[in-house]
Amino acid sequence: MADEIQQAASKALMREMGLDEANIERRKKIVGFEASDVPRIAAIRDLVTQHTDDYVTTFFNHLSGLDDARSLIASRAIAERARQLKREHLVAMVQGEYGMKYVEQRIELGTLYAKAGLDARVFLGAFHQLLKHIGSAVMKQVDRKPLDGFESFMSLKKIAFFDIGLIVDVLVFERERVIRQQQESIRELSTPVLQIRERLLLLPIIGVIDTQRARLITESLLRSIRANRAKVVVMDITGVATIDSKVSNHLLQTVTAARLMGAHVIVTGLSAEVAQSLVALGIELSKLNTVGDLQGGLEEAERILGYRVLTTATDAGPAPEGS
Amino acid sequence: MSVPILKQGDVLIASIQAALSDRELAQLHDAFADQVGRFRSRGVIIDVTALDVLDSFATRTLRSIAYTAKLRGANAVVVGIQPDVAFAMVQLGLSLEGVATALDLEEGLAYIRDVAKRGSHRVR
Repeated sequence: MADEIQQAASKALMREMGLDEANIERRKKIVGFEASDVPRIAAIRDLVTQHTDDYVTTFFNHLSGLDDARSLIASRAIAERARQLKREHLVAMVQGEYGMKYVEQRIELGTLYAKAGLDARVFLGAFHQLLKHIGSAVMKQVDRKPLDGFESFMSLKKIAFFDIGLIVDVLVFERERVIRQQQESIRELSTPVLQIRERLLLLPIIGVIDTQRARLITESLLRSIRANRAKVVVMDITGVATIDSKVSNHLLQTVTAARLMGAHVIVTGLSAEVAQSLVALGIELSKLNTVGDLQGGLEEAERILGYRVLTTATDAGPAPEGS
Repeated sequence: MSVPILKQGDVLIASIQAALSDRELAQLHDAFADQVGRFRSRGVIIDVTALDVLDSFATRTLRSIAYTAKLRGANAVVVGIQPDVAFAMVQLGLSLEGVATALDLEEGLAYIRDVAKRGSHRVR
């Protein structure tokens, strides 16, 4: 059951990575694998299958001697599974069939390494040890025809490099997946557009504005203007630490684009430092409608929209806003 | 295909339905300049909802129509610029400086009504 789930996951990963028949053929071409390699590998098939356990032990002994591989060895469940898969790998390596099924098994092992946090360089070291052992065994057996043995081993090595390519790609892909997810969540978090009254939107901007982010902010603002039929937008930049000519240009673009859609933009939250540096830089922001703080901006927006905010208490409390 | 200009009370409305050639844009400009005076309109609305691109010539023509209408005594408003179009325009540095814009036709009509109520010294 667990195997089936794992297989389904491997298949899904293969689709995500774009590993189809054509891609696999391309990869074979990259390592120079040809039909003539199959019989050469077949010549050393028995040698490898008979001593599979030895080679697997070599691989994992090498890993257990390394601090960098502790995460793989430490977990008994993962280590056991890895051993089993490695054994299957060695057997499959000399069968001459390197299609989707074979790649699927490699992907599963690669995913396991990725889960254990095994680095590509550590894997490469251990894999090299394994190949060295197979190589010396091959050379020992065919001592009368060293050239044939060498040729067979080289054919096997093509498959080995084919495997390395797959494993490293899985490791990189899995690592990048984390980055992709983080970027995605940052993107979603970073551009909220909030409706605070009928036809009034609030756009709080926090952090660093670069070209990419400015684009996202503008796009989501424009879409929200359309969706909420907004007439006034209050853009609060209290959370923007520094503003240079580039950032101010981005802000101006956002304001201009919103205006093209018929929305009026009020910019609030320019701190004393920001205002001074803008003046010192000679940046032209006269086209912007700016109000000191968010409260002032909201009051101005309500005035434009014709809202009047009144307190419910008639005798006490602060004076009504906007009156 | 020339764009029909509809007269709705004292407002002229042109809804552009497909991308126009430069010549057709110039025709639209001339037609507006003529009809604003003839019908004694106080508002001009150009609806570009159906357009998915506004190039520099179109932008300039829209601006020119607005200025001309102003000189002839009518307020012009461009309505229905799509989000993607607006974004592309600012990226290209095209802006409708000095031209009123509104979200859609309804907003555009409300704007013209507003302006007339607020500041106009015209006798209604």
